[in-house]
Amino acid sequence: MTTTTTTELATQVYQVFIRSTPEAIWKAITMPEFTEKYFHGSRIEITSAGRRSFGPDGEVRGDSPVLEFDPPRKLVHGWLSLYDPELAEEEPSRVTWEIEPQDGGYCRLTVTHDQLEGAPKTAKSVYGEGWMMVISGLKTLLETGEGVEG
Amino acid sequence: MTHDDRVFKALADPTRRFLLDLLFTRDGRTLTELESELEMTRFGVMKHLRVLEEAGLVVTRRSGREKLHFLNAVPIRLIHDRWIDKYRERRVSALAELKTQLEETA
Repeated sequence: MTTTTTTELATQVYQVFIRSTPEAIWKAITMPEFTEKYFHGSRIEITSAGRRSFGPDGEVRGDSPVLEFDPPRKLVHGWLSLYDPELAEEEPSRVTWEIEPQDGGYCRLTVTHDQLEGAPKTAKSVYGEGWMMVISGLKTLLETGEGVEG
Repeated sequence: MTHDDRVFKALADPTRRFLLDLLFTRDGRTLTELESELEMTRFGVMKHLRVLEEAGLVVTRRSGREKLHFLNAVPIRLIHDRWIDKYRERRVSALAELKTQLEETA
């Protein structure tokens, strides 16, 4: 099997259809009580002022600026993997969340992780399984979980 | 058609599977780049890409004047979880049961 090289991972796109409302998806992305259920156990708080992520023991996993905050449609924030010293030394990258309502009570969620040119190790570490686990976990939480209401 | 139906339909064609493999090798390609790898008209490739896009397996992004095609493997992962993992697990547990039975009788 051919493997993808790191330079080509500088832009990564992930998309999923979720049977939920834009408001509920927005809450699940921006509030720590929901993110800890699907984002590698991280408690992530996102406001127009910034994105802060904490591990289960309160250690800081991420602290990045929010570049666009347009609930419940679009969110753009910086990314720097503080949970790994080697990754933390790399240049910051960017994550964009787009929520588009579809027919039949579905929303299309697109996550684009780009500007990873200066962060090849980060690109490799989040690629594929990394983001896919988060996104499929988010879908499961919203479609079968309790407590996330729009 | 449900989302799963669209994904299965999209995967049921060798040209479309080839296009996904091309993007897996190198992601973010233009129509012209993809077309050059196939002996098919531009229109034919566009039609296949549209089916892949409708299934969510390919997502396009604008980069300057270019439209780039990206592989989105999430639907395949979801199908794997729903349709492959489930059956594999039963098989594994059946084997485990057999082992226990054999060891008990031994």
